[in-house]
Amino acid sequence: MTAENQPWTHRFRPSCQAEVVGNERALSQFRTWVRSWEKGIPKERAAFLHGPPGVGKTSCVVALANDLNLDLLEVNASDFRTKKRLEELVGRASFQTVTITGKRRMILFDELEGVSGQQDRGGITSIRDIIKETMIPIVLIATSPGEKWQDKFRPLVDLSTLIEFSPVPFGAMVRRLRECAAELGIAVDLEVLEHLADRSQGDLRSTLNDLETVSRGKERVTIQDIGGLGERDRKDYTPDALNKMFSAKSLKEARSVISSAHIDYDTLFDWIYENLPVVLDSPRDLVRGMEALSRADIHQTRAQRTQAYRLLKYMFNEMTGGVALSKLYSTGTGLLSQVREKTATLGFPPGAFTVTESREGIEVKPVKYLGNDWRTVNNGLREVGAQWVRGGNAWLIPYFRPPQLVWRYRRTYQSRRRRNEVAAKVAERCHISSKEAVAEVIPLVKVMVDGDPGMADEITGWLDLDDKQSKWLKS
Amino acid sequence: MSSGMWAEKYRPKALDEMWNQTEIVSRLKSFVKDRNLPHLLFVGPAGTGKTTSILALARDLYGPAYQNYTLELNASDERGINVIREKVKNFARTAAIASEVQFKILIMDEADSLTSAAQHALRRTMEIYTRTCRFVLIGNYSENIIEPIQSRCSVFRFGPLGEEDAKGWIKHIADNEKLNLLPEGLEAIYEASTGDLRKATNLLQAAAATQSGEIDDVTIYSVLGRVSPGRVRELINLGLKGQFMEAREVLRGLLIDEGLAADDIIRLIYSEVLRLNIPERYKVRLSDTIGEIDYRLTQGARAEIQLSTLVAKLVIIGEEING
Repeated sequence: MTAENQPWTHRFRPSCQAEVVGNERALSQFRTWVRSWEKGIPKERAAFLHGPPGVGKTSCVVALANDLNLDLLEVNASDFRTKKRLEELVGRASFQTVTITGKRRMILFDELEGVSGQQDRGGITSIRDIIKETMIPIVLIATSPGEKWQDKFRPLVDLSTLIEFSPVPFGAMVRRLRECAAELGIAVDLEVLEHLADRSQGDLRSTLNDLETVSRGKERVTIQDIGGLGERDRKDYTPDALNKMFSAKSLKEARSVISSAHIDYDTLFDWIYENLPVVLDSPRDLVRGMEALSRADIHQTRAQRTQAYRLLKYMFNEMTGGVALSKLYSTGTGLLSQVREKTATLGFPPGAFTVTESREGIEVKPVKYLGNDWRTVNNGLREVGAQWVRGGNAWLIPYFRPPQLVWRYRRTYQSRRRRNEVAAKVAERCHISSKEAVAEVIPLVKVMVDGDPGMADEITGWLDLDDKQSKWLKS
Repeated sequence: MSSGMWAEKYRPKALDEMWNQTEIVSRLKSFVKDRNLPHLLFVGPAGTGKTTSILALARDLYGPAYQNYTLELNASDERGINVIREKVKNFARTAAIASEVQFKILIMDEADSLTSAAQHALRRTMEIYTRTCRFVLIGNYSENIIEPIQSRCSVFRFGPLGEEDAKGWIKHIADNEKLNLLPEGLEAIYEASTGDLRKATNLLQAAAATQSGEIDDVTIYSVLGRVSPGRVRELINLGLKGQFMEAREVLRGLLIDEGLAADDIIRLIYSEVLRLNIPERYKVRLSDTIGEIDYRLTQGARAEIQLSTLVAKLVIIGEEING
């Protein structure tokens, strides 16, 4: 394919770092990390590049590999579905610091966001194992929607140096578009360039695509030419998606969040469930909304059982439209009154805090310096999901809070593990099942152990528990 | 031997020590006398002596080394019928040579939790190993055991212990442990355990741990308030008061932190609802709702979503009751 036939996004892909637009700080951070390998293996063997789409993450890596004459092995999301396949691809390469031609190597895992939660967890673990042992630099790239994306990649994030990319600034983007047009000898009105740059929200790649479309077969492009350009489906930041869903007035509108949200429908379901009782603050709405979610759950179970995935659409209808259209009597002031109530119980005179609504959530601001009381207030407000905003000197309670389930499982991992070990021992000694031990016997054993230290020692000895297990039983 | 848990310490070791269930015990004794027994099926509520009597029988039959000739499996803890079959095979393929009894005993607890397909596989296994092994199946309900298995077993039905027997047992332990158990305390234990001796014994031991002096009904209720039924009552009351979010937190604590299974929680909710101080017709409505949610759970729906839906229904019913 000659250069003329290539899409503009390929044709104008930077071949050296100097050509990359914007994100100067991320670029230099990345360069420094790659160069640190020349002096031996650095502490962090991977770099994790993240940011919105189309801002030059991959370009930056390719360009630097060119600059430093590195051999770049690119691996895509579809390649790390199975551990075996991944190891075939990169397992060996990660131990060979140079290719046969003497070039130094670097591995790039691109489009990590395509690795979906459940099925590919093995993929993430395998990448982690490779990072731990690699002798050559590994680069990870994910498009992050700017929310809790890090949780999904936690095992990787912990081992990597994080490099954040931002949207390409408006001015830099207009300049770059003009350069590209000029190179092809097309006259594009500044108005057009500004319009395209403005609607792209800092995504240079999509703007180049748009520019290519409107200039096709033309020597001069004016504002009249951009009429036919469709709005690109931008993925919604989850709280925005939820806001859209909960305020929808039609099934179609509510259902659109299934495809427009950044997250998969299972995660979306958890978000909806988490926030439903706050939005549907009237009991009548609440019960209808929960019933809709419950029905959604059943449709999903049926779809999975029968492998008839067409049944999923009924799940989608219930979890979005079913919930949204249950909202008849709710005032939507649930969170605000919850925050007001909480603030009132903190033991401060009325007027000690101002409570206001902002775009992202409810702000609680102390009227004067709290000193040592800050911690008490913080602990209290955290129960309603508040976060302290450093610069703003206020707490923010977001309108929508992320599902607490995953967090709760993670937080209780150790204690659940001990519980299962103790249950197995109780089951054996008492001739019952573990399930029965958990439900019927252990709660009473906890009371025994808590009430009488002598009896506690006798029981833990009799059950042959180790220190950690005994400690769990006594907690 | 360190005493550990009283439920084990006082578990009868021989058929002669059995507490009540006299008819069953006398028939089991005749098996011991003949040195032979058929396959057995024990059904009845928890804590009525099913496991105890078979362990006692094994001890009477084989002597102190009885453990060499018995294998205890719990169907609800084993991963699938194939694992069970493998274990049975390994256990049953050698005859009980060192004993004068020609067979071994395999005890399968919670056999009624097996699916009917798994029970058919089990029935086949029973047939193959009948020469070297006797099967003792234990469960709560005989309806959940397939007919072909029932017809191959001698069926023994364990009834719940009567008030007098149950109280006698509790007093027997209290005296041995030199506890000061007042009549109100005894009554409260019996009320809470209704013929389930294991539960009664555990409850007594927990009460004794928290209270070195007199054990009365208050002691018992305070213990009960700290275990799952107490937490479930809290969940129900929060729901009826319209505090859905708070109730959901309690639910999450039960499901995740305490690790209760959804069917255990719904069973506790059901029995607490029947004890609620609300107009009777609401109990009927709640029972219907609980039944619907329980069915959804059997269909594999998510525990937390379904139980939360139940809590939401409590909210609306609570609102109706309070006008």
